[in-house]
Amino acid sequence: MAADMRFAKTHEWIRPEAGGLATVGISAYAVEALTDLVFMQLPPVGRKVKAGESIGEIESVKAVSDLYAPVSGEIVEVNAALPNELETLGRDPYGAGWIVRIRPDDPAELAQLLDRSAYDMLVKS
Amino acid sequence: MTSTLPVWWDGPADGPTNMAADELLAAEAARRECPVVRIYSWTRPTVSLGAFQPFAEATACAAIAGLPIVRRPSGGGAILHGTDLTYAVAVPRTHPWGGGPQALYDGMHAAMAATLAQFGIAARLHVPSLADPPADAFLCFQRRSPGDLIASPAGQAPRADDPKVMGSAQRRLGTAVVQHGSLLLTPNREVGPEARQGGLAAVDPGRSWTPRDIAEPWLNRVAAALVVSLAPQRGSFPETCPEALAERAGRFGSDDWTRRR
Repeated sequence: MAADMRFAKTHEWIRPEAGGLATVGISAYAVEALTDLVFMQLPPVGRKVKAGESIGEIESVKAVSDLYAPVSGEIVEVNAALPNELETLGRDPYGAGWIVRIRPDDPAELAQLLDRSAYDMLVKS
Repeated sequence: MTSTLPVWWDGPADGPTNMAADELLAAEAARRECPVVRIYSWTRPTVSLGAFQPFAEATACAAIAGLPIVRRPSGGGAILHGTDLTYAVAVPRTHPWGGGPQALYDGMHAAMAATLAQFGIAARLHVPSLADPPADAFLCFQRRSPGDLIASPAGQAPRADDPKVMGSAQRRLGTAVVQHGSLLLTPNREVGPEARQGGLAAVDPGRSWTPRDIAEPWLNRVAAALVVSLAPQRGSFPETCPEALAERAGRFGSDDWTRRR
């Protein structure tokens, strides 16, 4: 797992990439807590989002959870294969299970999120 | 955290109003930093669809033709309301029942199982097995999920085909979780027999129930499990937030929402 990965309290992770982009997914803890996933809805490419805004929904057997943007920016790519391969989220949540790529309005916003150790403390509390 | 469980005994409302109120209940739980409950009913028999159930499945189900349809914000299968006890509970994400989906599900259903036992009905939380019906059956009461409430007819040993009498589903938001669900009391005569489920009447046909007969002792058990006391609220929950309710009810009543999939 990349050292510069950051986490939102709502269990999304974000990792800076080349070219001013960042990749977003949901944590292994969140995937495990949701259990059997059955459906996922992704946002349209090009949508502008604010930090904390819902960017999609994921349904498990009994629960629908919102996916939240960890930072403000523009959705530039979505993992279009993921809704048809939801098992990927459980198998590789920090790799092939990525959800969207976003161009942050302010890259410094990432630094305001939780680092790995702070996130681990959050889920253990 | 507070030491009470606020509960609103709401009257009947239409589908969009009930779904809007349930979603706003989540905000109320986050604001109060404690679980909150509403018990409610329906102005007329209504079908509620799971958040992502294809609308075409509803139109293809002849047994429910002509009934109003509302799409829930939560998952799960379609429910025919009108002869059930319908409830919503919301808890902050930081609450012990707000962490993962199963804790809240099991907490509410275990309290109901204990309540039904008090009335002589043997009910149990479902444990998945190979004999389960298809997980994607259109109707909630034709599905089986971990923690669903299954009841056995009086004097009979538990069987794999015992009826499901209670199911619930959740919407997990950033700061709170809302779970709503249904305890089926009697078969709904408004629908065709292929969609009609027996509910409690199938396991105890000699008794008639009102929702309140069961809801009051049930919520007392829920409060006891949470180590708080039940705190009935004045008025209805919709009266506490009329403007937000009207805005959200408009969304839940729109074709865009109802036919989103």
